[in-house]
Amino acid sequence: MPDRAQHSLEIVPQHPIPAQLVADIQSKLAYVDEMILTAHVSGESQLIRLGLNQQPDAARRAALEEKVHRVVASMVKGAIAPKVQVLEDYLDRPVPYREDPLPALQVQGEVSREADGIYALGPLVAWLIEDFEKRLLDLAASFGAAPYRFPALIPARYLERVNYFRAFPHSLTFATHLRTDLEAIDHFAQQATCRPDGSLDIPSGDFAAIQALLSPAVCYHLYFSLADQSLADGRLTATAVGDCFRYEAINLNSLERMWNFTMREVIFVGQKDFVLENRELARQRMQPILEELGLAYRVESANDPFFIGEFRRQAAYQSAFQLKYEIRALLPYNQDTLAVGSYNYHQDFFGRHLNISLPDGSPAHTGCVAFGLERLAYAFLAQYGPQPGDWPTTLREAFDER
Amino acid sequence: MPDIETAALSRQVQEVLAEALQVPLEQVVPDLHFGDLPQWDSMGHMEVMMFLEERFGVEITSETIAELISLPAICRHLGTRRHA
Repeated sequence: MPDRAQHSLEIVPQHPIPAQLVADIQSKLAYVDEMILTAHVSGESQLIRLGLNQQPDAARRAALEEKVHRVVASMVKGAIAPKVQVLEDYLDRPVPYREDPLPALQVQGEVSREADGIYALGPLVAWLIEDFEKRLLDLAASFGAAPYRFPALIPARYLERVNYFRAFPHSLTFATHLRTDLEAIDHFAQQATCRPDGSLDIPSGDFAAIQALLSPAVCYHLYFSLADQSLADGRLTATAVGDCFRYEAINLNSLERMWNFTMREVIFVGQKDFVLENRELARQRMQPILEELGLAYRVESANDPFFIGEFRRQAAYQSAFQLKYEIRALLPYNQDTLAVGSYNYHQDFFGRHLNISLPDGSPAHTGCVAFGLERLAYAFLAQYGPQPGDWPTTLREAFDER
Repeated sequence: MPDIETAALSRQVQEVLAEALQVPLEQVVPDLHFGDLPQWDSMGHMEVMMFLEERFGVEITSETIAELISLPAICRHLGTRRHA
């Protein structure tokens, strides 16, 4: 993301930051203070460099430093080294493109930035996503997955029931509307304007209480639809695509990290063995799909981006029980990788919290395989470029025949 | 003597688990497993691990998190350490 920071602040952490936590801590610093425009953690020099939108006075600077130290301490103290597992490694698959595809895509009118994390996509990228979708639908069909459609909104009480507010408060996106009050609606209609930064200039009291949020994941809707029920057949396989919303503050960055993105999921509900076997089968069936796309990638153990207070415990738990593996695609232009999909097992977490039971009365286990469609397209374009003539044969031919 | 030692250790672990999971001691039966009580879920398990670290000096690693999933497994782990 462009560096708009005009002031900077360097902080030496009070606790040494281990290499495996550098990226996680850097991403969490985005939520420390609204003054922060950029955050960089150097594991080698043990230095935190913040770009700020204003020069803080002594008191604000002290408060900022205290918050940064608090974040670092909560994530570093007693940190448990994750068990790193690599299940597939094709990062050295040769790919021809080396540039960040975003500028070219913007010039071609294929990507249009509406605001931070909000992008419109043109016909080429839309075609790519549709092609990937067909392949993922074939994957879902190979499991006999039943198609579902879920809304973009999700009731607040649902997320409360699965402890989402505690685990991921930083990334929530709230939905509201004007109070059903003539004065409030009239006032809004007459007075509503946007400030220079794009935010609506209206009194927060004109908004109704929040009852719904924009959904952060697709599979949650399925689990909620099964709540307080017994699975008659003892198992269920479903698939759905949907808009997902995760606010990432200054970490929102091109198509790599969007506020509003699309996820296709194949979801398994049943006994432990059923879920784990199908998760593994899905990984194996994805291998030839990713090979046909010519994608350079690796599948490795991962953890969800839990918020600071929950991070240490939950990340360690996920790692210990191998609950999450990510497909990380190579981004040749910065030699980094980007998570474009994941293979997840939730144990009986949703079964217990939502009272989804199996015919024998035990709580159901759940798992899902999930693909971020824009990220998948972006990683592909980063490896093969925005000209279809440079794409792998299968895709090039399919594009020509569209 | 070893039987008395084992029984005492089991009792100690039961007390620590009851405290970690915030349940009455009588609910922590000697063959209690992860998942047997609603409180011993993923979050409860990490609470148990923190208590085992604090009270018995158990090192929290991916391996101990995955292995110490029952009261007998915890007792075996602690017993092995004592006799090592």
